[in-house]
Amino acid sequence: MRIIVNNSSMTPIYEQIAGQIKQMITDGGLVSGTALPSVRTLAKDLRISSLTVKKSYDALEKEGYVITVHGKGTFVADTNAALMEEEHRKQLEKRMEEVIREGRVCGLSDEELRELFEIILTG
Amino acid sequence: MIRLDGLTKNYDNFSLNCTLEVKPGNITGLVGVNGAGKSTTFKSILGLVKPDGGRMTIFGREVTEPSPEDKEDIGFVMSGACFCEEFNVKKIKKILEASYKNFDGEYFDSLCEKFSMPTDKKTKEFSTGMKARLKLITAMSHNAKLLILDEPTAGLDVLARNELLDMLRDYTDENRSVLISSHISSDLEGICDDIYVIHEGSIILHEETDVIIDEFGMLKLDRRQYEDIDKKHIVYVLEGNNGFDCITDNRQFYEDNYPDIIIEKGSIDSFLNVAERGARI
Repeated sequence: MRIIVNNSSMTPIYEQIAGQIKQMITDGGLVSGTALPSVRTLAKDLRISSLTVKKSYDALEKEGYVITVHGKGTFVADTNAALMEEEHRKQLEKRMEEVIREGRVCGLSDEELRELFEIILTG
Repeated sequence: MIRLDGLTKNYDNFSLNCTLEVKPGNITGLVGVNGAGKSTTFKSILGLVKPDGGRMTIFGREVTEPSPEDKEDIGFVMSGACFCEEFNVKKIKKILEASYKNFDGEYFDSLCEKFSMPTDKKTKEFSTGMKARLKLITAMSHNAKLLILDEPTAGLDVLARNELLDMLRDYTDENRSVLISSHISSDLEGICDDIYVIHEGSIILHEETDVIIDEFGMLKLDRRQYEDIDKKHIVYVLEGNNGFDCITDNRQFYEDNYPDIIIEKGSIDSFLNVAERGARI
């Protein structure tokens, strides 16, 4: 497992870690049942606090990507196709939001954005 | 693990009023400028300074100073203090053996070997880095549940500091806690679960390190921007020649509502700088 933390990124570190692990799970790089490194091991490797790693694992667990067995560790969960699809959809939604925000910053009205979207969609 | 409730100590021109808690398994940082009260806090916990008031709970029991049994379970590094410079590591080991019931000679030796500590050399011939390592090895040598570390990385270069912090990471587990101070904020940002900021004897901030870095931020504003901006999430402001530096505890709010202003990530250094020299709002 290879995780890279960017300390100058505005994205919170726990989100960076959770995002990368999620990516590995959706890509099939991490299969269900695989044990993730312990919180303290990963914290040491990445030179960040244990609490940060714990937050990432908690976030992944909440979304159903991993399960934590008390006293044993954290493992990749049985992710189903529906969850994956949901995740892809969410990512797409997020990117669309970004595009819309950028458009508004440039001074485009909602109507203009809609038009632009239509043009590209039918183009 | 340890809790201070309004612990006070009064000197002629300084008074400490400190409330903080170190939870089991946590590495907690205490930061502040020189003279803010860090060392007085540490000394109170170690029983080297007698508090004038407030409450102190160590390992679940309320005490006025740590008992001899408590001290067995506390490892410490104080800035400056070290062993008699005429001693070598072998002699120091004998002293530790006689001092701590739980002294673990094998572990002490293994750490000395791991960090290539010369055992026959007098410590006065040690480099700054070697002395710092020896102090931390000593603190970790008797299976202490709590480490009190006052500036353990002072005077060390980046490699030696990282090595020391890695030693510390190896030592801590779910049942061992650390209270650490440092003037090098990046050291603390990389290791502490939560941080207390102390200013003129009082705690002015306690947050998880993550929150300080991810949710706090610094806004850099010119006068017009400063006058127009909604200040409900600004906690400190410092006016300078080139404008206003503002610390916010809700960076997202300003990112969402003021896309044109300059916003930096939060850091302990920026917080300290603005909180120390600026004004609270």
